[in-house]
Amino acid sequence: MPFDTPATVVRHQALNRDHFLLTLESSAIARAAAAGQFVMLQTRAGTDPLLRRPMSIFRVLPDRRARLQILYKVVGAGTRYLSSQPAGSRLLTLGPLGNGFQLPPVSTQPILVSGGIGIAIFPFLVETLARKRRRPPILVYGARSKDDLVALDFFRARRLTMRLATEDGSAGARGLVTRLLEPLLAGRAGSRKPELFVCGPTPMLKAVAAMAVRAGVPCQLALESQMPCGIGVCLGCVVGCPGDDQGPVFRRVCTEGPIFRAGEVML
Amino acid sequence: MKRRRTGATDLSVRLGPLSLKNPVVAASGTFGYGQEFLPYLKLADLGGFVTKGLSLRPRRGNAPPRTCETPSGMLNAIGLANVGVEAFLDEKLPALRGCGTAIIANVFGETQEEYVAVARRLNGAPDLHAIELNLSCPNTEKGGIAFGVSPPVIREVVAAVRRAAPGLPLIVKLTPNITDIAVAGRAARDGGADILSLVNTFLGMAVDLRTRRPVLDNVVGGLSGPAIKPLALYMVQRVYREVGLPIMGMGGISGAEDALEFMMAGSSAVQVGTANFFDPTASVRMVRDIDAWCRRERVLAVRDLTGSLQYPHGGPPAPCAV
Repeated sequence: MPFDTPATVVRHQALNRDHFLLTLESSAIARAAAAGQFVMLQTRAGTDPLLRRPMSIFRVLPDRRARLQILYKVVGAGTRYLSSQPAGSRLLTLGPLGNGFQLPPVSTQPILVSGGIGIAIFPFLVETLARKRRRPPILVYGARSKDDLVALDFFRARRLTMRLATEDGSAGARGLVTRLLEPLLAGRAGSRKPELFVCGPTPMLKAVAAMAVRAGVPCQLALESQMPCGIGVCLGCVVGCPGDDQGPVFRRVCTEGPIFRAGEVML
Repeated sequence: MKRRRTGATDLSVRLGPLSLKNPVVAASGTFGYGQEFLPYLKLADLGGFVTKGLSLRPRRGNAPPRTCETPSGMLNAIGLANVGVEAFLDEKLPALRGCGTAIIANVFGETQEEYVAVARRLNGAPDLHAIELNLSCPNTEKGGIAFGVSPPVIREVVAAVRRAAPGLPLIVKLTPNITDIAVAGRAARDGGADILSLVNTFLGMAVDLRTRRPVLDNVVGGLSGPAIKPLALYMVQRVYREVGLPIMGMGGISGAEDALEFMMAGSSAVQVGTANFFDPTASVRMVRDIDAWCRRERVLAVRDLTGSLQYPHGGPPAPCAV
């Protein structure tokens, strides 16, 4: 059950020049949220920007006054306005929305594959996997450059196995996450059956989904989309899915997603 | 205008054969089939809502990207995706039984025959209060030109639908993408429309400078939101003066003040569209805020506001005089 409430900014931290961590107080949303779900977040009052922005839930902070955190990167006017919201401001927040991740079987080795700001969806999943007694996941995390590898502290503090890559070679291996993923899929992450959880730019999702399908490994993709409403009525956020002789069918990222299985969607 | 000091405002409005408990109606394409908003509001608090446009068969719609945000507005090219009239009657309408608000089915077709077939199917459906014709659909028999830009075509399709669904109040939704919308309004009136709703979206486009491509896969989309409000308000005022049918005004209405302006310009009721996207409770809050404004201004009945605009020189200027 989603809620539409004004959420108070409790803390708003700049992680670097264009990455921000926002802590919101909204106990109704925080209590109802599941890993992989998102909120529609107002970036400032008024009609410009007109639409709220879909934002993955980064973490739900476990305390009595449940708060939620959102990690985002400034990419345009909306996120720029958002980044100037000081603590104490109130932002209309609608959520939790979307289907969320399906947890893997207990014996499975989860592998999280993140590209750039896609990392914003994973801490909540990591904490959920731990709470539900799943195996600690392996994180494969790529970004353009060292500065774009944000939130590493969270994963280091939990002693997760990490494989890092940057396109410019400024941290970890030089290149794309697919290079790091290949040996993991070939070696089957030890003897355990892996399952991939993927979030990042569309070309990365596409490449990783293809690798997963080839290797016969289950794979959940977290999609991004232009999303005016978030509640399934505008039909604006659809993704093409395999259809029939009349062409593709379209499914709503906000409602049938944002998590889809590899092979379910045409990227 | 009737005024009194205290007590509840009479929010009910009447548009020809259609009575609504209040003047706020959620617009087609922004409210799904009603159920989608149940987590956020009570449908019974609305004057009514208009369903997603219904065609004879289900439609999948356009390829993405389908939407693009613009300054105080948005473009959409959804491509009229909908479940089709049969699924609406079998699944969507029964789920709304007893919802306590007026249910208006939006209807479109690619041919006049399709409009007629959908309207005939809806005629007599239980719990349906009216149909609204979307005339912005491309007419495949006339080279893809929208029905709503040709007065003879408007008159003909409205008359045909009128005959096919004699039992239902008929709302005709006008496109603003025409030189003089009053001409379209008169054609709809002559075809037998009971009510006019205006305006649909304005044609527009957006360019992605980085890729040097149109943002929308469909290239062209419909512009909605606060950006179009002054344009829409002008057209409502003009149709009110020129046509003489009751009007449901729309175009960027996001709050009670917008709604009241449209009523003064000649609307008997208003439709709330894009605001439902960025604020799912905008419509019901508007009802409360209209009530509060009327109390404050000592307006006894909201219907008295319709067309109450005070012109500085006794009347509006001719269409082109600025």
